[in-house]
Amino acid sequence: MTLNFLELKGLHKKFGDITALNNVSLNVSKGEVIFIIGPSGCGKSTLLRAVNWLTPPDKGEVWLEGDIVGSLSSKLTIEESKLLNSFRAKMGMVFQQFNVWPHLNALENVVRAQMVVAKRNKAESEVKALKILDEVGLSDKINEWPDNLSGGQKQRLAIARSLAMDPILMLLDEPTSALDPELVGEVLSVLRRLVNNGMTMLIVTHELGFASKFGDRIVFMDGGEIIEEGIPEKILKTPKTQRLKMFLEKLNITSFKQ
Amino acid sequence: MNLEYTIFIDYAPTILLGFWLTLKIVVCAIAMGIPLGLFLALGRRSNFVFLSFLSTSFIEIFRNTPFIIQVFLFYYVLPFYGLRLSAEYVGILALAAFGSAYFAEIIRAGIDAVPKGQLESARAIGMTDWQSMKNIILPQTLSIVIPPLTNQTLTLIKESAILSTITVHELTMTGLMVQGETFRPFEVFIMVALLYWALNETIATIMRRFEKNINKNRNTGPTNNSSAILKQNENTR
Ligand SMILES: Nc1ncnc2c1ncn2[C@@H]1O[C@H](COP(=O)(O)OP(=O)(O)O)[C@@H](O)[C@H]1O
Ligand SMILES: [Mg+2]
Repeated sequence: MTLNFLELKGLHKKFGDITALNNVSLNVSKGEVIFIIGPSGCGKSTLLRAVNWLTPPDKGEVWLEGDIVGSLSSKLTIEESKLLNSFRAKMGMVFQQFNVWPHLNALENVVRAQMVVAKRNKAESEVKALKILDEVGLSDKINEWPDNLSGGQKQRLAIARSLAMDPILMLLDEPTSALDPELVGEVLSVLRRLVNNGMTMLIVTHELGFASKFGDRIVFMDGGEIIEEGIPEKILKTPKTQRLKMFLEKLNITSFKQ
Repeated sequence: MNLEYTIFIDYAPTILLGFWLTLKIVVCAIAMGIPLGLFLALGRRSNFVFLSFLSTSFIEIFRNTPFIIQVFLFYYVLPFYGLRLSAEYVGILALAAFGSAYFAEIIRAGIDAVPKGQLESARAIGMTDWQSMKNIILPQTLSIVIPPLTNQTLTLIKESAILSTITVHELTMTGLMVQGETFRPFEVFIMVALLYWALNETIATIMRRFEKNINKNRNTGPTNNSSAILKQNENTR
């Protein structure tokens, strides 16, 4: 049971002629923090979006806590849609572009889904929202509009919005890539807290330093496939494949330039 | 040309009665047309092929035929199917149907203008399609669609003059009748035109206020305030 907290089995996804995922399988245990790295366009986002069925794969299965997520039929039944939505509520997703809701203030951003999806009442949702906003360091911004927040604050708000749903798994797609360098730290420190709290996470990132420090495993993808995976030490220090070596070299050169 | 001022006074009550009917017809048509337009817009985007086909057909038919022909069809064809309505009700239905086709396209464009990530984040957190629409997409659509919806409403008010051709005693019809009695077209149609103008100007003003209010309360899109702050951040970097 603990071994198969999350199981991805033989995921395939094509966009026209482009193969975004080619037979990707991955087992994740509860509490594990997995970083996904790889060149742009290799299918990292598609993989995360397959996990919560935002981009349904063409083939393959996703299992969460022994239950199958989504269905391959093009038209979901009402029952299947309901089930899928309940899985999604348990899987928090954080996007590179934040996607906070600009017509709601910070507090309402964290409250809305609690009321609509989790059917909590307003008072209960607000108490929870205030607690989480405090944890991500936004307690002085609760009445602020997202447009008036910095990128780092928006991303922390997006994380708070997900956490309010009590997720058992977090999917983070390049959570710091759209941020200016000086704002990366505040988001990473929120993520560090999640790691310390034992949250299970799949994180797509180019922050190799962070990945090597906090990752239980690093998965390297290229061309829609998992090429190598293992503990950070092994992946970053002794890459086996030429493709991973080249990728790491390129990344080092660019980060050196910065 | 001499103006005969007594006409303005003598026939004001009659003309105002026509104006009152125009107002009632237009308000009813809009009250029906905007919800129907929203329904058609959502229907057109729907995954249900049949609903999408019906909505699209409705919209395209009503957008691509002259309003006056639609009015005649409603007026002469509905009774064939046992639906005997007074000319006023036929007028309201025709105006609502015609308006809804345009409202639908405006609303659809508004929905499409909301960034894709908004729907994705709503779906990813577990909202159904309808919950996402209601809570996340449509509120952001509102401030986008108010100006074009207002324009379309003004057009609809002007088009309502065509209902005079099916004996609805609205403003234009009343004007025609008074002119037939008095043979003073200038005075009469000045009055009629002024009333249309006043109505449209009032609506336009109210909607501008409403729009401002929304933008103040909900900070949708980059308003002056927020873009100024963004620029400030940019400069301090
Ligand atoms: N919605 C889509 N339509 C067409 N092609 C897509 C779509 N999403 C992703 N792709 C393509 O699939 C490949 C993998 O994309 P993605 O998973 O976003 O890569 P990554 O996140 O690793 O940069 C890319 O070639 C991309 O262009
Ligand atoms: Mg990506």
